[in-house]
Amino acid sequence: MDGRLLLSVDIGSTYTKAGLFRLEGEELRLLGKAVRPTTVDDLGRGFAEVRAAALAAPGLPPEAPGSAVPVYWSSSARGGLKIAAVGLTPDLTLSVARMAATSAGGKVVRAFSYELTAGDLAELAAAAPDIVLLTGGTDGGNSRVVLHNAARLAETPLPAVVLYAGNRKVRDEVAALLSGRELVTADNVMPEVGRIDIEPARDVIRRAFLGRIAEGKGLAGVAAAAGREPLPTPLAVFELVRAIGERVPGWEDFALIDMGGATTDFYSHGESFRGGEAVILRGLREPKLKRTVEGDLGLRVSAEALFRSESAFFESRLGAASPDLLGLRAHVESVSRATDLLPADDRGRRFDALLAAACVRASSLRHAGTIQRVFTPQGGFEVQRGKDLRRVKALVGSGGYLAGLSGPALLLEACAPDAADPDVRHLVPEAPACYADADSLIPLLGNLAADFPGAAARAAVAGLKPLRPAPNRS
Amino acid sequence: MDAPRIVLGVIGADCHSVGNTILDAFFTEAGFHVVNLGVMVSQEEFLDAAVESDAAAVLVSSLYGHGLIDCEGLRQKAVERGLERLVLYAGGNLVVGKTPFEEVERKFKALGFDRVFPPQVELAEVARLLRADIEARRN
Repeated sequence: MDGRLLLSVDIGSTYTKAGLFRLEGEELRLLGKAVRPTTVDDLGRGFAEVRAAALAAPGLPPEAPGSAVPVYWSSSARGGLKIAAVGLTPDLTLSVARMAATSAGGKVVRAFSYELTAGDLAELAAAAPDIVLLTGGTDGGNSRVVLHNAARLAETPLPAVVLYAGNRKVRDEVAALLSGRELVTADNVMPEVGRIDIEPARDVIRRAFLGRIAEGKGLAGVAAAAGREPLPTPLAVFELVRAIGERVPGWEDFALIDMGGATTDFYSHGESFRGGEAVILRGLREPKLKRTVEGDLGLRVSAEALFRSESAFFESRLGAASPDLLGLRAHVESVSRATDLLPADDRGRRFDALLAAACVRASSLRHAGTIQRVFTPQGGFEVQRGKDLRRVKALVGSGGYLAGLSGPALLLEACAPDAADPDVRHLVPEAPACYADADSLIPLLGNLAADFPGAAARAAVAGLKPLRPAPNRS
Repeated sequence: MDAPRIVLGVIGADCHSVGNTILDAFFTEAGFHVVNLGVMVSQEEFLDAAVESDAAAVLVSSLYGHGLIDCEGLRQKAVERGLERLVLYAGGNLVVGKTPFEEVERKFKALGFDRVFPPQVELAEVARLLRADIEARRN
């Protein structure tokens, strides 16, 4: 197997990137890279160009025919898989269903709890999801509501695949109700109250994605040329984060922020709750590997939404009703209209940095849990909700803006405490070392993480650029 | 028939976990399917767990004397959540001070609890009553 060549391609919304790797023993070595603008009208054209360019890398043995090099590829085309999550109670099965959907690289377009109403069904149809993730009830628990919801879904014309991952006891009845539909089933996402089991549902969503994504423009041709179905890009990254956390010494506790024009994705690996004498966990115990995706945090397409949701942050940095705040507003208006606009002057670059800081900060606060000091007749206790990221040792920035960072300051915004309530502490990273995915290898190695987890994980960590504070000039 | 499902937990800001562990072990051994929420459980958490697991009964423990205020409104919320048939028990050191148990029982029954228990009880007897109450409520 030594010396085997592997090509990895990621079709992003703006750029199509390729990397040619050689598997040498247990290690992956990058031989060449290529980038081309994504050809939106026919994704296959950009794919073929980038593939040819990467295979033309110097150092390639002339006897190796390029067509024999296996191609692993991912695509974020169509903005990822659209998932509608249906659960029973908002804080239990619905919350777990959301977790399963985002962990599988999907985007939750609608979420419903309890019985679906006629209005819900109309909303559902309008959202045109690729998958309806139907959950509800523990195994042997409530079945009335999922049966009701299955019957309502059966009478609603929807092209979506229905994935049933609820109360196992009525799986056959749900299947019978939805017999006319494209239906897949998985183990219950919450078999017991508080026990999360999202891996089986995640796996089914991943396979459903393979079938659906190829319907994107020209992707069927790419799949035929590559001889392999694509991964959704966020899922490729998710698998790489898992491989790094499990296989690279010293990286068990780390986080990765992938920020783009439309969304900010936050991935973390590490124990979510560490217990302790006087610490009590309330709510669900979150998984070791977690992804959240924030649709209102982005530098371009979502800049208007960001400006609104993080207005308090911008005011605190620039001053309320200051000329700078008005300037930022004008900047937001122009970049959200012309989404490929890059700032031409320092002022514009400063505004972009501020938008990026807001995305990093808010995505971290939303991903991380909280700890609250409470006083009880038995003394002081700490109540934790959500995931503890305080021990995160490394924080990686990826995606266009963060990949280009030269210092750690912007990523360290992820550690900024939220001063709104002094009794509540946010469990954000405390003192991470910062890195940038400067060569944009994360998605490319993510594609290889399923087949070569150790090698891809080590190559990813080795390829990161450490971001050290600028030397003090005084 | 499946084992009857019951939800256990210690309500409010109460961190007494020993009795909760004992109840869990006892009712599991006695043939119940126990969903144990542990300590510091809110009313919403009790009811969410009861809805998802289709529980027949919720057993609320309170050991620190503030049970009355913590339990107020639980029955109404259960009804609002569609749990009209839920069997509700409360037990422990439910109120501060030396209030006679009859008085405590009267107050908790007024809140909609089906049965109320003092700190010392014969658990086998509680299990017997619980089975009977669940059976009666089912029909």
